[in-house]
Amino acid sequence: MARRKTIRFGDYIQAMSIDSQKVPYQELMPEPLFDRHGNEHPQPVPKMKLGGGDIFKILQPYLSTRFIDQARAVVPLAIYLGLFQYLVLQTPVMDASIIAGGLFAVMIGLMMFMEGLKLGLMPFGEIIGNTLPRKLPLAGVLFIAFLLGIGVTFAEPAIGALQVAGSIVNPDQAPYLFTLLNDRSGATVLLVGLGVGLAAVLGTVRFLRGWSLKPMIFMSVTPTLILSIIAFMDPELTKIVGLAWDCGAVTTGPVTVPLVLALGIGVAAAAGKGADSSLSGFGIVTLASVFPILGVLILSFYTAYTVPAEVIIEKAAEIKLAAQTATSQPQWYEVTPWTEVILGVRAIVPLVIFLAVVLLVILREKLKNAFITYYGIILAVVGMCIFNIGLTYGLAKLGDQSGGLIAGAFTSIDAITASPLYSMSVGVGIAGLFAWVLGLSATLAEPALNALGMTVQNLTNGAFKKSMLMIAVAFGVGTGIMLGVLKLIYGFHIMYILIPGYTLGLILTLLSTEEFVNVGWDSAGVTTGPVTVPLVLAMGLGFGNALGSTDGFGILAAASICPIVAVLTLGIYVQFKVKREERRVARELALEGEKK
Amino acid sequence: MKRSFTTLTEATLITAVVQHGYGEIITDALLEVGIQGSTVHGAMGVGIRERLGALGVAVDAERDVVNVMVSSDEVDRVFERMFLAGKLDTPGMGFMYATPLMQAATYVPPSILSKYVGS
Repeated sequence: MARRKTIRFGDYIQAMSIDSQKVPYQELMPEPLFDRHGNEHPQPVPKMKLGGGDIFKILQPYLSTRFIDQARAVVPLAIYLGLFQYLVLQTPVMDASIIAGGLFAVMIGLMMFMEGLKLGLMPFGEIIGNTLPRKLPLAGVLFIAFLLGIGVTFAEPAIGALQVAGSIVNPDQAPYLFTLLNDRSGATVLLVGLGVGLAAVLGTVRFLRGWSLKPMIFMSVTPTLILSIIAFMDPELTKIVGLAWDCGAVTTGPVTVPLVLALGIGVAAAAGKGADSSLSGFGIVTLASVFPILGVLILSFYTAYTVPAEVIIEKAAEIKLAAQTATSQPQWYEVTPWTEVILGVRAIVPLVIFLAVVLLVILREKLKNAFITYYGIILAVVGMCIFNIGLTYGLAKLGDQSGGLIAGAFTSIDAITASPLYSMSVGVGIAGLFAWVLGLSATLAEPALNALGMTVQNLTNGAFKKSMLMIAVAFGVGTGIMLGVLKLIYGFHIMYILIPGYTLGLILTLLSTEEFVNVGWDSAGVTTGPVTVPLVLAMGLGFGNALGSTDGFGILAAASICPIVAVLTLGIYVQFKVKREERRVARELALEGEKK
Repeated sequence: MKRSFTTLTEATLITAVVQHGYGEIITDALLEVGIQGSTVHGAMGVGIRERLGALGVAVDAERDVVNVMVSSDEVDRVFERMFLAGKLDTPGMGFMYATPLMQAATYVPPSILSKYVGS
């Protein structure tokens, strides 16, 4: 017999804090419509009329959650850089209001771009990924994957950072670097895109055949390293190596990864494979980080053998002269908002046209919810334009400034009158620590890392904790950026970091299991997002310029290999721990068996 | 050991179908009023986006479905609490309902059970 709980009526009245009234649902519903044969007629769908308050209530959470996502990545970094400049370097941030406006534009732009990507581009990727393999033979699917790889590279927001970085390079000191980033920047991005396209093809075939990633890593990293060494021997091309390896980190961003993955997974699922393997989805990112390096190296060899350095220097001088005479009356498309707008439109629109052609002409499919897709595409284009403006005035400017000023900690520069602020050893230590904390915090703020951590935790049944992976990757990126900065200070070549780093990485790859190889090599590409890349690139170049070093590139490259080594090492440790645990359990079971 | 179970009567199921992300907010609010054991699962909603027109993009079609069993006396209190926590007075947010349950059963700690059931 259960006793009924009683509630005092007064308590009940007090607990009910809001007015309520009752309406029968029947009264709200429209009468069913019948035609003259007595069949039910479809109801017209009336548009809802909303007051201002309700519109605000709908939009407020929609906008604020998306804005906070971006602000979480940008604001702490900006505060860190600003405070560091003010407290340690004793210089307030110059043009603070312009930079603040630029950073705000970055947040707004990324917010719109990511939402546009989700609503406008991802549906294309999913439909194509699901239906293409059923309608086309494998060769056709792979060809489309290849073209998609090129298209997404142009649409990647961080690619714009390369062009911005190119304007800082001095053509007299590094002519080939200058030409690859300025008058030939289109070719550079195309070669990067070809690399990503090739990676998409190979990654998809790998899904289908279930190949191991290990031999692919060896077959792609080894020739890249060898080519780098050949370039390193050449007095002119040696300045390109840093850029080439940085391109690998730039390519794998928020557009490439989901779109290429959607296609690859769709193909594998259509073939009845991949759905069972929890590892499907990994590997493409790794290949998409390595092949572009190869592409840029090959382009630089080609340029070096066809165009002599003097021609480039002359041409650069001409461009500079033309720019100086033209500054009085620049063309409309050379003025600030328009250049960025053109860049933004040029980045997204070709990709959208390509996707639309595949969908409408080859697949003859219709888009569901076309309105939302159009809205998403427009949002992506507008977001990209705003992001590009923010990139120039916020991220690149701030990174350039901090990079230039941090040199004042240990050497004499014009911007800080009291420089060097500290003795050589303390100053270098401060610069290194600054770079380390920057890399660590920027990586921990990257939302993609959180997602990767979750996947890894599920893959390893909790043996490899999410927090452990995040710390390992962030630690690796921080150490890598610190090494990159030290490289600039002491002026040694990036190859002295890359060769030991990748050799160690390859050895660890041999020792690790397939899961950890997949996760480890992907972790580097996944974690360098659209905020970190431009900031670190600009910081490196500003720092390099302040030191009079020609090669400000290479920091991102160093930041790519270190997390790989960190994650693989940790993976081997985890494996060892799991094995030991298994042995212990087996022994105990055996002992128990003996007792009985 | 002889196994037995107790049937709980006068229980009501409250179900709220809300935008993705609000499920957790509702379960947190439920814990605050001392209601444990809610279940959340995902679903896709259809219909509201079409009716809202351009504003529909701001409404997430992905939904959280929160199921929670409460004693029939507490339905009004909990129902209101969930309504407020889930901001269901916003267009496009979702809806909720309460259904009487014929019977329910779960683990009831013996110390509590002994107060109500003679041995």
